[in-house]
Amino acid sequence: MKLLDIIRDANVNLLRNKLRSFLTILAIFIGSFSIISTSAIQAGVNDFIDQQVDSYGGEGYLAIVSKDSFDALEGLTGAMGSGNREPIEYKEDKIQDGMTPITKEQIEKIKKIDGIDGDSLAKQQTLSISYVTSKETDKKYLIGAEALPPGNVKVETVTGGQLGLQADDYQIQLEKKYVSALGYTEEGIIGKKIQLVVIDQFKHTEKTFDAKVVGVIAPGVVSMGYSYTNNKLADDIYAENIKYYPEEYKDQIVAVAVNYDFEKYTAKEMKDKLEDIGLSAMTIDDIIGSIKTFFDVILTVFKIFGFIALLAAAIGIINTLFMSVQERTREIGLDKALGMSSTRVFLSFSIEAISLGFWGSVFGITVSMILGNIANNIFHAEGGFLESFPSFNLATYTIKDIIMVTVLIMFISFLAGTLPARRAASKNPIDALRYE
Amino acid sequence: MSKTLISTRSLRKSYGKRNSKFEALRGVTLNIHEGESVAIIGKSGSGKSTLMHLLALLDKPTRGEITLNGHPTAKLRARKLNTIRNKKFGFVFQSFFMNANDTVLNNVILPLKIAGVGHKERRRRAISALKTVDLDDKRNNKASDLSGGQKQRVCIARAIVNDPKVIFADEPTGNLDSTTGDKIINLLFKLNHEKGITLIIVTHDQDLANKCQRQISIKDGRIVSDSSADVEQDDDGDEEIREIVAESEEDDDDDATPDKFEGDNNIDGMLDQKHPVHHINIEDEEDL
Repeated sequence: MKLLDIIRDANVNLLRNKLRSFLTILAIFIGSFSIISTSAIQAGVNDFIDQQVDSYGGEGYLAIVSKDSFDALEGLTGAMGSGNREPIEYKEDKIQDGMTPITKEQIEKIKKIDGIDGDSLAKQQTLSISYVTSKETDKKYLIGAEALPPGNVKVETVTGGQLGLQADDYQIQLEKKYVSALGYTEEGIIGKKIQLVVIDQFKHTEKTFDAKVVGVIAPGVVSMGYSYTNNKLADDIYAENIKYYPEEYKDQIVAVAVNYDFEKYTAKEMKDKLEDIGLSAMTIDDIIGSIKTFFDVILTVFKIFGFIALLAAAIGIINTLFMSVQERTREIGLDKALGMSSTRVFLSFSIEAISLGFWGSVFGITVSMILGNIANNIFHAEGGFLESFPSFNLATYTIKDIIMVTVLIMFISFLAGTLPARRAASKNPIDALRYE
Repeated sequence: MSKTLISTRSLRKSYGKRNSKFEALRGVTLNIHEGESVAIIGKSGSGKSTLMHLLALLDKPTRGEITLNGHPTAKLRARKLNTIRNKKFGFVFQSFFMNANDTVLNNVILPLKIAGVGHKERRRRAISALKTVDLDDKRNNKASDLSGGQKQRVCIARAIVNDPKVIFADEPTGNLDSTTGDKIINLLFKLNHEKGITLIIVTHDQDLANKCQRQISIKDGRIVSDSSADVEQDDDGDEEIREIVAESEEDDDDDATPDKFEGDNNIDGMLDQKHPVHHINIEDEEDL
């Protein structure tokens, strides 16, 4: 008997008892629907996080602070309830918020570490800008901005392009929410100059920087609503910020960022090397790891539910096929009398089980994809909770996931089908034909 | 005399174990020749169906030997046995055994489908088999829509679709009225004459048996008479076993397990009846 004939017959047999097959498929559908949906959400979240990581310089990015600062940060959070660290003792030689600056010697050492791109080292300084305004509006808005992190950074933009990092003029990639507030459209603002005003905290002197908008940033988790400036703008604003600082504070650096050769070294190796010179480093994964963990836990729970549903469905398959073996005893007897081998009988029932699994997973995946698309549209529509994250597709269906879920369910169905299939295969043709 | 097709030596078949042991066949030796038409007659529980199952290689004897075309079959693998049944044998049963929801054509195709014959070829051969039984106009009807006689003709078409050497028919007229039954019998004999297909018919119907070249009567698992001279009675007479079995047999003659096949209304004593009681299907009247 040809395989194609067996497959076709298996599906014809399923149609013989439509309601029973439908209910069994429905049970599989529930399992496959929950598994593919959670996989899709997981893929969506991971996709989004990856985009964010890329926009932050991707792999190879290290944010470095002094070890004391790092401990202080952990100590603070520990003191506030989470964690179980001892409170940290106050020391006279530290800045009041517990941050210990990185010394000039340490910076020189960082640059010399094997694997670190010394040229990529950038001081991480938060720029203090009083407000932003434009020629199109009288209003003034608060704004957060910082220099773009080092490395092969590619900020995801809605319109416009990337910063000319080493350019001599002032450039900015503006957060999306400022565009209309400043009286422009997303396309219209590209190339226009906006005014960043810095008022000194001590002497109240005012300085205005005319910055050219080169891009509008898609909102994301990592950028946290910050706009990015090129190096020239960042350096000049920072110089203005610290103009009246006491001399000894002027050169203090709390944090730097560097790029390392991530193809050659692991993050752990780099962290160990920095630890040797009294510094602590964090990768992007460390920074956003908690978001990932949060989603992973929730989605794993849903996936477990999906597998439990699938297990119940497998019992449904066993039950359905046992019934159909019973009903078709005579038919099996005739098939065997006419020369069908036990292997073929086994195969035909197994394929029936696999077909149940196949249809269940196809329906589950199809319905999940339809609902996923509808959900994506609703969440991205005005007022939806993802409105401000246009690049975040909550449900992302990858070919790999679809194939894996289908194959997995077909395999589980096959395993479930082996019990009834074995019973069918072991039937004696004479007994089977005598069966009333 | 023509070539020996199937021969058996001292065939024994028993069911169950120890106290519940039942000996359905107790030493049957016979030769069936190519092109013969053989009736195996006997009462319910006589062992005639068991004998047919063994001859058709559907079951294995407890002891004894069956040779097919001179080859012993005992050591053949299951796959080989399946192929022999599929390619060399045809089966006609009392209760038809058709797939009621399927079309007539698909029912006839079944042995070819099992054999793995290609789509076009098997369709062609099934239609030609249906023509032989004069039912090719019904090929797209559902099997359940046919009358009893038509169903049995479809079964004959299914039995001949693979061009078999032998047709095994188990009470082929058991579920038919006498007129319809006669036509079925004529059809079988026509195949026997024209195509030289060996016929082995299990029946309790003496009329049907008389139409065969040869009648073999079975009683209590032994051949009691054989119209052909070519027979060796196997009276090896293991008295001890026979006595033990005879005891256990007396009280359960009627529900003897191996022979339920024919066991609806055809009870003992039917052998002498001229016209056995038939099941008459109302829609049977006009067809055939």
